[in-house]
Amino acid sequence: MTFDLTLSGSDLLLLAPEIFLTIWLCVVLAVDFTYKQIDHENLAYLSVGGVIATLINLIWFDYTGVQGALFKDMFVLDGVAIFFKILVLISTAMVLLASIDYVKSFKFFKGEYYFLVMMSALGMMFMASAQDLLSVFVTLEFSTFGFYVLVAYLREDQKSSEAGLKFFILGVFAAGLLAYGISLVYGETGTLVFSEMASAPGSIGLAIGFIMIFAALGFKIGAVPFHSWIPDTYQGAPTPVTAFLSIAPKGAALAILIRMFYVALATFKPTWVLLFVVASIVSMTYGNIVAIAQKNIKRLLAYSGIAQIGNVMIGLAAGTKRGSDAILFYLLTYLFANLGAFAVVIGVSNLIKSDEIEDYSGLNRRSPFLAAAMLLFLLSLAGVPPLAGFIGKLYIFVAAIEQELYTLLIVGLINIVISMYYYLVVVKKMYINEPHDPTPLSVSTPLKTVIFVGIAGTLLLGIYPKPFIDWAVAATLMFSNLSAPTAADPAVLTSLMGG
Amino acid sequence: MGQLALLATLFAPFLGSVVLLFIPNREPFLVRVVAAASAGVALLASLYVFLAYDPGQGGFQFITKWAWSEELGIGFHIGVDGIGAPLVFASAILLFAGIFISWHIKDRTKEFYIFLLILAAATIGVFMSLDLFFLYFFYEMSVLPMYVLLGVWGSHTKGYLSMTDEEGRKLRDSVGFILNFGSNSKEYAAMKLTLFLSAGAVFALMGILLIYHFSPVHTFDILVLREVAHFDGTLATIIWVLVFFGFASIAPIWPLHSWSPVGHAAAPAATSMLHAGVLMKLGHFSIIRVAYEILPDATRELMPIAAVLCVFSIIYGGFVAYFAKDTKYVIGYSSSSHMGYVFLGMAALDYISLTGAVIYMFAHALATGMLFAMAGWVYDQTHTRDIPSLGGLVKNMPFLAGAFIIACMASVGMPGTVNFIAEIMIIVGSWEKYPFQVVVAVLGIVLTMAYLFKMMRGLFYGNMSPEYAHTRDTSNWVDRFPLLLMIGCSIFFGIFPMHFYNVVRSTVVPMLDRINQVAPMVTQNTTGLLP
Repeated sequence: MTFDLTLSGSDLLLLAPEIFLTIWLCVVLAVDFTYKQIDHENLAYLSVGGVIATLINLIWFDYTGVQGALFKDMFVLDGVAIFFKILVLISTAMVLLASIDYVKSFKFFKGEYYFLVMMSALGMMFMASAQDLLSVFVTLEFSTFGFYVLVAYLREDQKSSEAGLKFFILGVFAAGLLAYGISLVYGETGTLVFSEMASAPGSIGLAIGFIMIFAALGFKIGAVPFHSWIPDTYQGAPTPVTAFLSIAPKGAALAILIRMFYVALATFKPTWVLLFVVASIVSMTYGNIVAIAQKNIKRLLAYSGIAQIGNVMIGLAAGTKRGSDAILFYLLTYLFANLGAFAVVIGVSNLIKSDEIEDYSGLNRRSPFLAAAMLLFLLSLAGVPPLAGFIGKLYIFVAAIEQELYTLLIVGLINIVISMYYYLVVVKKMYINEPHDPTPLSVSTPLKTVIFVGIAGTLLLGIYPKPFIDWAVAATLMFSNLSAPTAADPAVLTSLMGG
Repeated sequence: MGQLALLATLFAPFLGSVVLLFIPNREPFLVRVVAAASAGVALLASLYVFLAYDPGQGGFQFITKWAWSEELGIGFHIGVDGIGAPLVFASAILLFAGIFISWHIKDRTKEFYIFLLILAAATIGVFMSLDLFFLYFFYEMSVLPMYVLLGVWGSHTKGYLSMTDEEGRKLRDSVGFILNFGSNSKEYAAMKLTLFLSAGAVFALMGILLIYHFSPVHTFDILVLREVAHFDGTLATIIWVLVFFGFASIAPIWPLHSWSPVGHAAAPAATSMLHAGVLMKLGHFSIIRVAYEILPDATRELMPIAAVLCVFSIIYGGFVAYFAKDTKYVIGYSSSSHMGYVFLGMAALDYISLTGAVIYMFAHALATGMLFAMAGWVYDQTHTRDIPSLGGLVKNMPFLAGAFIIACMASVGMPGTVNFIAEIMIIVGSWEKYPFQVVVAVLGIVLTMAYLFKMMRGLFYGNMSPEYAHTRDTSNWVDRFPLLLMIGCSIFFGIFPMHFYNVVRSTVVPMLDRINQVAPMVTQNTTGLLP
């Protein structure tokens, strides 16, 4: 295999967002090192400015339809890539803003924090463009690298160190799986590019290889049974990092999953549909049931995230263009609701230094704003109209029923009711219980901005989702020729049963 | 104009709740005025809709349709027929009355009114949705505010409150305590209600998704689906069962009723009113809208299920109400008993009985609204709902006692109130098809008299315990007005029912002709046909 690394001006244009962000994060680091006395708050605004500039660049790309591929299809800029890059960057901007107060409590390395967050974001932007197993490996490790540091950022907190270690060990294990899976797939097909694998004949080696890759990506998105690191890591990591971890890497990994299964494995759809059906049912049910028992809000959101990923995988199980549209839209709704909820958690923990659900008692009396925002975000996660989460769930269910995945649908619907219970328990604490300590709480401006962005997104996507649905539909146009047989097709059923 | 009025009915309470967000909590009077104003707009607009509905023309009127998502086949499509119009009106009456009933709420007034307005607006939205998606959207949206309203402003039952010693406290926090019938905390009631109704809702959603998937056109629009979608065989049965039991859980039909009295009892007065008055009718209404419109054949074949279950609702609810010792439990069980009459009227598939069922929903909304409002007043004054410990309140509350008698009479179905017309129509219309059920229903009326008069005697007559000497009557207009409004409506439509009857009948007749496969009548002279 030879690589052609000559780049023309128009090629560079495709890389412009990444190049700009790379320069910008170096600037942030340089400013931090040069001006020791600078208030780190300004560094945060500097970083957010860079992220927003990149965001505008990408929106412009999306608007004008700039697309293309580089490095023999290793890096591709298409609708899906642009969508996931925007998703990652919105979450990055929100996380950076939400971090400002939290970072004040750090003793060292305040400036590097912003650098690391942006570096991870950069890695995830490359992940969204990965169209080749080699770039999958490199970009995935690149983005995770920043997180290894970020999770263990609270040096003196035992929980944070434990979280970091757990995340690191399992992350490295997943990387090993990924590398081994890639080597098997390469051995069987002789290629690393997704689109070239589409015609490869099936074999045991290929199946094992892809299952290993799926496991490694399942680790990233936190699907059962690869979820074991999630609760401890979420609880121990600094809360803004948890917030970041709960959406951005999941989105980027889902971009790879969609590409891999929709492009590289399109011919084996009946087989992997079954894989996603099982993974989805197990994730939803396990996540929701275990979440009921949680006493810590970060752990609760961790398990709820596992369940939400189960919902997302319903879309993958549908395996259609409608399924991918639904996933994209669902992730948008999840982005606003989940980051909003974490922003409230950050706000509360800044003020009362606790993440226990019990300490949310009487939040409505102490801060009506925080309580109302949390109510909206939790109900959106539960899928209650008129909030975004409901439209997302409905979209996913419509995709599932078009493929007649009834079992999955019934399990998904029942899980809505189960999840409602534990979200309502938090609502009960906030609204019904009396506060242990009635002093009013106030929220800082940057955090308030993040919460308002979350509320605006949650309401807008719930009440007027049309432009966003249209965006998701347009972004996945390349999958519109995906017309593999449905799961209900008798021929497929016999082939599944070993025929 | 009619379209605007319909939109105003739906959006005035929503706008009111948005405006309330920006009013500080330290100005409770302004909060109440804004809430009352938005509810007043909704009431006037819904009155206009009700009066302007043209029974000669029939069908769906005042239709507004905006595309919402072509990709998913969803449109914001609203309009009312002869069934929706009176129910929208009833919701607006109860909302407006409920705002005044809760005038004295001091704890977090602003939040209370926000949730109350959202609850009422969502119910109104269900009654005018012509799109399955929005029907479900508003339906589920109406459930969640109930959780907060019950949990925050509700009250515990006596059995729960009396367990104040160490052992009792331990017992009432234990898991098994949820089975301890009749002595529940408000948190439990709220959670049970929400989960029960959400579970029912997702069943119905499954049915809706099946309708969407198997119809030739992928759309949620009811008016399109009723023309193009034809379901038969097992599929129709499955969809019908999902839709019927999903929505009937809120109605509530026996044996899915257990959340309802618990929820009524825990809720604050205005919420109980809206809950028993209109929220429960969402079930009947949604069954009519979805099953009767889209699955006429399955409805004809399977509706006898409702005729069987309604007997249990009527008898069981009636007997529990007779033996209950808690005012709100009595009214709550009486509501679930009375909802059995609506199911009977619906099940007979006869135009007289179905018209009666629709009028009964309206009539019951007013009657039960009055009862809950007054039980709420008594509770506010005495801080107990325990009937045996009360008595003789007529000395301190002459006005309320008088109003209570009228409310009981209305609930029983005395001639002169709209309940009478509804009841007699259900009984007459169902007689041919379900004589046994009609006998049960008539006995149920006797039972209703028994428990309501028993409660009335227990509350207002006999000896008054000295600890209630300080209680006072509703004295100013804020407290009396809502009661007079509901009593007035009940009696007015009891004496002048013709427009109401014509409105309902104009929709019911073609609907039943479709179900019973009778060729549609060409023109109908609908005046002068009152049985």
